[in-house]
Amino acid sequence: MSQLELGAAGLMKERALPSPKTSGHRNRWVVVVGGCILSALIFLALFPGAIAPYDPAETVARPFLPPGQGHLLGTNDIGQDLFSELVWGTRVSLVTGIIVSLLAVSIGSIVGLSAGYYNNLGSTALMRLVDLTLALPFLPLVILLAAYLGSSWRNVVIILILVSWAAPARLIRSRVLETVHQPYVESAVAAGGSDNRIIFKHVWPAARSIALVQLVMVAAAAILAEASLSFLGLGDPSTKSWGTMLYFAQASGAFLGDAWLWWVLPTGLMITLTVLGLVLLGYALEHRLEPRLNRR
Amino acid sequence: MRPNSQLPGTGFVNRLAAYFITLFLAVTLNFFLPRAMPGDPLALVAGNSVRQMGEEHITELRESMGLDQPLGEQYLRYLGQLAQGNLGQSYRFSGGRSVAEVLGERFLWTFSLVFISLGVATLIGAPLGAWAAWRHGNWRDVGLLSAFFTLRSIPAFWLAMILIPIFAVKWRLLPVGDSYSFPRPDGFQQVTDVIYHAILPLVVLTLAYIPTPFAIMRSSMLSVVGSDYILTARAKGLSEWAVRYRHAMRNALLPLVTIVALDFGQLLGGVVVIETVFNYRGLGSMMFEAVKGRDYPLLQGGFLLFTVGVLTINLLAELLYTRLDPRVRGGGQ
Repeated sequence: MSQLELGAAGLMKERALPSPKTSGHRNRWVVVVGGCILSALIFLALFPGAIAPYDPAETVARPFLPPGQGHLLGTNDIGQDLFSELVWGTRVSLVTGIIVSLLAVSIGSIVGLSAGYYNNLGSTALMRLVDLTLALPFLPLVILLAAYLGSSWRNVVIILILVSWAAPARLIRSRVLETVHQPYVESAVAAGGSDNRIIFKHVWPAARSIALVQLVMVAAAAILAEASLSFLGLGDPSTKSWGTMLYFAQASGAFLGDAWLWWVLPTGLMITLTVLGLVLLGYALEHRLEPRLNRR
Repeated sequence: MRPNSQLPGTGFVNRLAAYFITLFLAVTLNFFLPRAMPGDPLALVAGNSVRQMGEEHITELRESMGLDQPLGEQYLRYLGQLAQGNLGQSYRFSGGRSVAEVLGERFLWTFSLVFISLGVATLIGAPLGAWAAWRHGNWRDVGLLSAFFTLRSIPAFWLAMILIPIFAVKWRLLPVGDSYSFPRPDGFQQVTDVIYHAILPLVVLTLAYIPTPFAIMRSSMLSVVGSDYILTARAKGLSEWAVRYRHAMRNALLPLVTIVALDFGQLLGGVVVIETVFNYRGLGSMMFEAVKGRDYPLLQGGFLLFTVGVLTINLLAELLYTRLDPRVRGGGQ
């Protein structure tokens, strides 16, 4: 075996996989970029008033103003300051993402842990529900739910939780399934540990890293989905979110004119930046917490 | 994990059973959702037109739709109608048109959009993923990876809102929206007209899809880099190109198609919003119009069709995979 490996190294010379050092180096770069983006956004979400010159909900000038005259990005269809809207929108997006991911990943963790640890009718039923949720077409399901529940920010959060818990549940369950047959868990069982103790002391630590990565990934997906929903007019039109801003840009037809440059472009860039920051952070986390991935 | 001692063939039966169970659950969800909501289910089942009706008419409608009967009986009735292909009447697209008819008319537009762009995205994304994998860790790989991370973070509908003002309004190269122009041109021109209208939606969807085949191909190539058959191919003295693309990439194609197909439910989402931006005459914009017009029968029909589509694609992918890859035959997961 070792001879074969030597041969392989010889054959592959320059194409050998990079050493973990380079991988680590790249990950550091990812963390720095993702971290900078996210800290800037968190600052905006915490202190929007420090940056935004106007109240985003108030009509402060003539509608459809181009940039200039104290309005960095001009005004929208009812004369609200677009730049202030953009800044305040950060809070809505981040809060939506955080609440959805916290609750969805908590539910997913509980379902994944119990469905993986216990092997009974209940866990089979839970996994069927997971399969169903994952098999249904994501956005059509969200639209259907939104149409029935009615449009409000709270309902958007509820809907996104309803469709987001299943993916982490499945991932955590498969990790639990790998773990329960490990000698250290089996010896804990043999030593007479209670189910709760074994789950929290021995099984959960192995699944925790997945939950952590999922926390970031679900938040990213939730922010994108919230933007899509609000853009379709299925969110609360009075909530100042980025999706809502794009909805009004389309509804007023402004995006067909020059306004796309200062209305549509910055808004979408903010969404992209937020999601990108989270995706980069998730990628780096995944590679740090799951060292076997470092070969990828 | 399933034990490997299963008889060959059970995999197929199991998958088929799972398909029908999921389908049945989706149908059940479709039935109970409007009835579980607060308020009068009639308005949710029949749509907005109820508001304009008189009292007797409402009672009559309630009776004709069976809403005065116990829930269990309503459910059986619903299943029976569904089995006959009866999805109810649409209210927004009125004139006595059935939901099935509207769906039939809209289906092909969405189907073509999704399949063409998914195909193009795979043809571009997969080779790029393979190419990046062989330059793993190098600046070209990192560059491509970052580009696709960014692309994945872009809301697809926003991409459409950026491309429309540039290509359709400013440069007047392409139409702003819709699936064809009015009045429809005759003969062959009709075909070019449809293609002309499909270009921008196709570009946006393709861009939205590309990161998926790229990422799958890249990571599956990385997993075979050191494997025995690649080593053998090299030892045989094959050219680097043949090793990478004829041997390694070919092996990764089947899992690629399978994973893309299994991800179909997630991928399909984009088309709903993009069709809405372009006013494209597919199922996606129909769902949107159905929501706006509170046309619940149409909304439910659309959701059901999307679900059937996704489940069928998933099933086909699994069957194809088991058929072509003997290693997973006999029911491993």
